[in-house]
Parts: sequence; C-alpha cells; structure tokens
Amino acid sequence: MARYAMVMDTRRCVGCHSCTVACRVHNELPLDMIYNPVVTVGPTGVFPNVRMTNLPLICMHCDNSPCVDACPTGASQQRPDGIVFVEEKKCISCKACVMACPYGARVPNHEKGTIQKCNFCMDRVDEGKLPHCVKTCHQKARIFGDMDDPTSEVYKLVNNGYPVRLLGELNTEPYVFYIVDSEVKL
Amino acid sequence: MSQKHDVWGWMLAVDFFFAGMGGGMLVIVGLLDLFVGEGRTSLLGNVLGPVFIGIGSSLLILELGRPFQALRVFVNPKAILTAGAWFMSFAITFGLVYATFGLDMFFWSSWVFARKVLAALCFITGLVVATYPGILLGRHKGRPFWHGPGIMILFLLSSLVTGFAAHSLAGFVFPPSTLTDVLGMFPKFTAGLLAFQLLLWFGYIWVKKSGGTTSESIATQRWINGDLSSSFQYGFLLFGTLAPLVLSLSSSPSLQAVGAALVLLGGALMRMLVVRGGEDRTWFPGEQKYRSRLPKGNEAFLKAWNK
Repeated sequence: MARYAMVMDTRRCVGCHSCTVACRVHNELPLDMIYNPVVTVGPTGVFPNVRMTNLPLICMHCDNSPCVDACPTGASQQRPDGIVFVEEKKCISCKACVMACPYGARVPNHEKGTIQKCNFCMDRVDEGKLPHCVKTCHQKARIFGDMDDPTSEVYKLVNNGYPVRLLGELNTEPYVFYIVDSEVKL
Repeated sequence: MSQKHDVWGWMLAVDFFFAGMGGGMLVIVGLLDLFVGEGRTSLLGNVLGPVFIGIGSSLLILELGRPFQALRVFVNPKAILTAGAWFMSFAITFGLVYATFGLDMFFWSSWVFARKVLAALCFITGLVVATYPGILLGRHKGRPFWHGPGIMILFLLSSLVTGFAAHSLAGFVFPPSTLTDVLGMFPKFTAGLLAFQLLLWFGYIWVKKSGGTTSESIATQRWINGDLSSSFQYGFLLFGTLAPLVLSLSSSPSLQAVGAALVLLGGALMRMLVVRGGEDRTWFPGEQKYRSRLPKGNEAFLKAWNK
C-alpha cells in the first residue's frame, strides 16, 4: 500500500505562486478560497547577508489527523494511502475541522455551505499523475511520491535527515516535509 | 460589507453559554433532589434548564453551513461534537420530564423512585453538557489559548455559577411552592463560586502568559493589553464577576437579583471572549501578513465580472 507524501524544498521556491494559481484553477475555487498559500518569511538579516524564504503551506495529510477525529458527520476521512479528504455531501460546515487543524488547511466554502481542502489532487493521483501544484512548479520545489517505496525521491529525501515537519511537537505526524536552510527559524 | 466567518462565531459562543447554564441548572436540580429533597428549586428554573440547552442547540444548528442537515452531527461516535449533541439531547429530554414532576396534573408526579432516577440522570447529563465545551476547546492543539485542561475547569465553573444565578432569578420570579430554605442560600453559593472563578482566571492568564509556549504567551497578550483586554478586565472580571460577588453577599433580594443578572451577562461575555481568543492559531512566520491581505467579506472585486 502506498503512503503519499510531499517534500517542499524551500531553497528552490522563488515565491511565484504558480502552485496556488494552478490549484485554484484545477479545483475551480472561488476567489476567496486558497488551499495552498505561499507565505514569505523575511527578509531577515543585515545587508549584504539578507535572506528571504518562501514557505508553501498546504494540508499536511497527517497520520494522526485532528480534523478527521473532530468531524461529527464522518465527512472528513483518511484513505489507507494517507490522503485526507472531505466527502462534501456529508459535510454540514460545522467548522470543527477548521478549528482542529493546526495548519489552517481547511477553508469554508460559503456558497456551497461545506468545508474544502487540498486532497493531493487524488483524482489525478489515482490515475498515476502528479498533483497540479507539483506539475506546475517550474523550480521543482515540490516533490511528491510514495513514502513506502524506497526508490521514490520523497523516500530518499525524507530519510536523508534534512526535512523537518511543521509543528512536529503537536504529534500530528504530518506527511508534508520541509527542507529549509538551517538559518531559517520555523 | 458583510464579514464572512472562517472560524467559529458569536452564535457558538452563545450556544456554549446557554448550554452551559442549562447544564449547570440540571446539575443543581439533580443534586438537590438526590441529597436534600424535592421542591427546593423553582418549577420555572426546572423548566428553563432544559429549555436553555435547547436554545443553545438551536444556535449551534444556525451556525452550520447546512442547518437542514444538522442531524448528521449524531453520526460519528469518535467526535466530541457528536457526544455533545447526544448528551444535550438526553439532557433536554430528562430535564423536561423531570420538570413535569412538579405539576400535579401528571399522574406520575407522585412516583418518588422515578423522580430520583430522573434526578440522577439530570445530574449526569447536565454535568457532561456543562463540561463538554471546555473539553472540546481544550483538545485543540493548534489553538494556544484554549489548549490544555484549564479551560475545561473554567467552563464547568462558569456553568455552575450561571446555573445558580439562573435558579436564583427563576426563584425570584416564581418561588418554589413549598420550601425556600435552600434557594435562599443560592446567592451565597454564587458568591463563593465567583471568588473561585476570579482566582482561577488570574491563574489561567498568568500560567498561559508565563508558563506555556511562545504562541500561548502571544495569544494571552490580547487579554492583558490587546483588543480583548477591556472587555475581559472591565466587562467580565469587574462587572461580570467582582460586582455580582459583592451584590450576592448583600441581604437585599433585589440587589441579589441584580447580581444574578450580572453573573449571566458575565458568563455570556466570557464565552464570547474565549471563542474570539481561539481565532489565533500557532502562526507560521509570515502567515499573518499573508492572510491579512486576503478578502474578509464580500469585497467588490470578488464579484466584479459577474455583473
């Protein structure tokens, strides 16, 4: 069984927001909804040693996902391959998952009356394709793959010891990993 | 321009208030019937307890994006909201049935054993309803002001205080038909609990500010000198806790009634502030700046090309 994960190489991300746009177009999101913002850390430091880092945020598809536990209707679910998704017809937009998610990855759709989120483009993944944000990234700052496959790039990157997990202290076990310069404090 | 709520709003806070107060009233009714005897509280108070929980539930439904599908909240037994919904339903049912024992028109009003069983059920379900909002909030790992067991104690305490105050007010309006000895002591109980509440809130803020994580400290700053500080310090601590504490200790029934009304206002305000305090997540560097630039409501540009 696969266990999908994503690695964000912030050293490569230039903050062009192509991933954000590709995601919104593919998912036909209203203008006030974003699944994967790219936030900017900095600039920090003193000239000429100035640094700016772009941090792409997204649903972390946590193994211990508090959003799934919080959902009273069972609309928030996790597939065996780790992808966390919302079954829209069951969602009543109680926002329990919005409040439970420590990463701000869930967004209310006020027109539909549901909560929506990144699902790693699971329709594409099921066809063996990459998520739109990964396909669009011209800097190859997003790497997607199967953590259970030792030959995959994500497996190698994660197991070389560099990537970190955001808010790892919360024990949510996120499956989106970040490669950041050691000077950057997340 | 209307503001869209991407997090829980004021209706949930009012739900917490009414449900907590109703739960607290059921706890008091159950305890008194089991250990003191029947007829110690006003019939009006006995009816209002479950009615308040019902009002809270109704507001919870209105807060939903799809209110007509509200029954779905009963589905997932692992979710704490589901447990809360079931217990609120049970509490409303047991509370209303218990209240019928105060009316001679019902033939079962003289069944003592059934009344005692219902009193026990009112106590249990009322206690859960009074406590569960605090458990719900305290489990949120990513909301630094809420996270931890402390918020559960504050909510339970506030539920009991508002429960006593609501019973006192109900007793002023519609006194118990037989015995008023215990009801007359309610303002003293309220004062004691208010003193405890004052102490606990100072401790909670102090621990969050100094003993927790950096994000907890930042979130607590809003309560000390940020946008919530005036409402918290003057509205809740002064007029919602300290003033009613003093008024409850007076011997004048009318001043006690004013104190009880202030307790209710303080309880509602406290929940509003706590829900607003939970808007803060543990932010990533640069995230707040990014999100501050996003549309907050129905800005004109969002619909510009639909014209």
